[in-house]
Amino acid sequence: MRAIQSLVVAIVLRVVHAALVELRELDSRVAGEFERMPEGLSYAIRTGHSGPMLFVQWDGRELRRLAELPAPSCSLRIKSMPLSFRLFTGQMGLAQAYARHAFTMGGEVADVMRLARLVNLVESYLFPKIITRRIMTDVPETEVNFLKAYARIARGFLTCKYKISR
Amino acid sequence: MVPYFEFQNAVKLLCGELALERIAIELELMGAERPLMLSDAVLTKIGTLAVVIQAMESEGVNPAAVFTEIPVDSSLAVVNRIAAFYREQGCDSIVAVGGGSVIDTAKGVRLVLSQNRQDILSLSGLDNLVRGRHIPFVVVPTTAGTGSECTGVAVIRNDDNGVKMEFLSPYVEPDVAVIDPRMTLGLPPKATATTGMDALVHAIEACTCQQANPLSSAYGTAAIRMIAENVETATRNGKDKQARFSMALASTLAGIAFSNSMVGAVHAIGHALGGVCHVPHAVAMTILLPHVMRYNLSHSAKDYADLLPWLVGQDAAMATPAGERAEAAIAAVESLSRRLADICGIPLKLSDAGVSKDAFAHVAEVAVNDGALIVNPRAADESQVMEILNAAY
Repeated sequence: MRAIQSLVVAIVLRVVHAALVELRELDSRVAGEFERMPEGLSYAIRTGHSGPMLFVQWDGRELRRLAELPAPSCSLRIKSMPLSFRLFTGQMGLAQAYARHAFTMGGEVADVMRLARLVNLVESYLFPKIITRRIMTDVPETEVNFLKAYARIARGFLTCKYKISR
Repeated sequence: MVPYFEFQNAVKLLCGELALERIAIELELMGAERPLMLSDAVLTKIGTLAVVIQAMESEGVNPAAVFTEIPVDSSLAVVNRIAAFYREQGCDSIVAVGGGSVIDTAKGVRLVLSQNRQDILSLSGLDNLVRGRHIPFVVVPTTAGTGSECTGVAVIRNDDNGVKMEFLSPYVEPDVAVIDPRMTLGLPPKATATTGMDALVHAIEACTCQQANPLSSAYGTAAIRMIAENVETATRNGKDKQARFSMALASTLAGIAFSNSMVGAVHAIGHALGGVCHVPHAVAMTILLPHVMRYNLSHSAKDYADLLPWLVGQDAAMATPAGERAEAAIAAVESLSRRLADICGIPLKLSDAGVSKDAFAHVAEVAVNDGALIVNPRAADESQVMEILNAAY
């Protein structure tokens, strides 16, 4: 079971990064968050014990996915794989994860808040309302059709747009 | 899904008369002999710090050093400076005497020392620290509001960006908190009223935020009742020892409540008002509470209705139609604020607290990045925070 959950989490982490890249061009609120993001800000997201990880850094122009990140600005560690699975499959929102002590965090709380707003916007596109209404107190409206976001993400994966930056 | 929650309070409480005289034995039991006393200039001037030191000395413990330059709105730099001072003086423990700023500064100092760091900035985060070296740590609150003596969070201003940073870890909790009625007898009426309202905000937000849990709500509701019953008496007659003691206990109960369930938008916006406009924390809490409750009402009606008996008493709550209890709870809070303002003239509007509307955009930008907002029962973006600020102006 853990192996399956780990695989799903790894896939969703890649999709979340891809969605952030695409929604920066599709949604004004996502674009606004990146405009105000300090250049060099980086996030490390770790899941459970030795689970999949996502390292990303905003370089002022794009959100780069990295193979490793020794000193992230903000480091999140989801405490277990079942919690990670719930968080990344629309069974639990980031605010709910916070409320349930699902993760530890190193860095400034402000950077987690920034990430929480971005993740809420991403989830409003990736998941249907029947799911997002259960995991958020207020679901943001999408600015473009979610299918457009999915299409761009799919095209991006096909063209290897989101590969690890060197 | 069965709800999940965590609850921790490992602070030993020394409550009641002659509690100060027991600090010495507590230090001795923790193996401490050379405490660093932390306080501020006002408490030094009015003799409150001397009362604590005399109580310790009478039982055989003399401070190794005293630092009283903690400002009202302390900063990371002050924390680092005190940690260096502690090392220079060869201290082995901390006794903090003061309000929220002194206690939170002391928590930061303890964190730097126990984690063996030079700069507290490197320790910011949430539940991310391993248990470090044990530094015996006693706090003596001199206000009845912050509840900081029993919380696992330190809020300290970063002077570089004006943001109040949160350090959340069970290892910032003191070992011992001393609730002695002598410590708040001299608190002026305005400070009594606003810090009492601060405690009320802790209790109400703890009971209604997304992280609320049965244990934190038990503490929170008990605090609400004690505050509703005693804050006016303590404000009107500061020498009333029973009212003072009840308020001090209520503040501690509310602190335990919110330390285990977080707070909400009142605190997020209040922290931002403090950081950007230097509005005293308790004043910001007093002004914002009813406006944030109105904002949250659509999402929190049941929770607010459940608080009504604790605010106005069982009989009055039962006499209120069920559908009107949430509104009645907000009205009860507003009424309490007004009565306190009538007694001692506390500000009830941001315009009366010296805030300019020009600062609202900056306040809103800072508020949405405050960790307290994440568990508020209703999400709030910058424009919604602006609405709340305008309503409170």
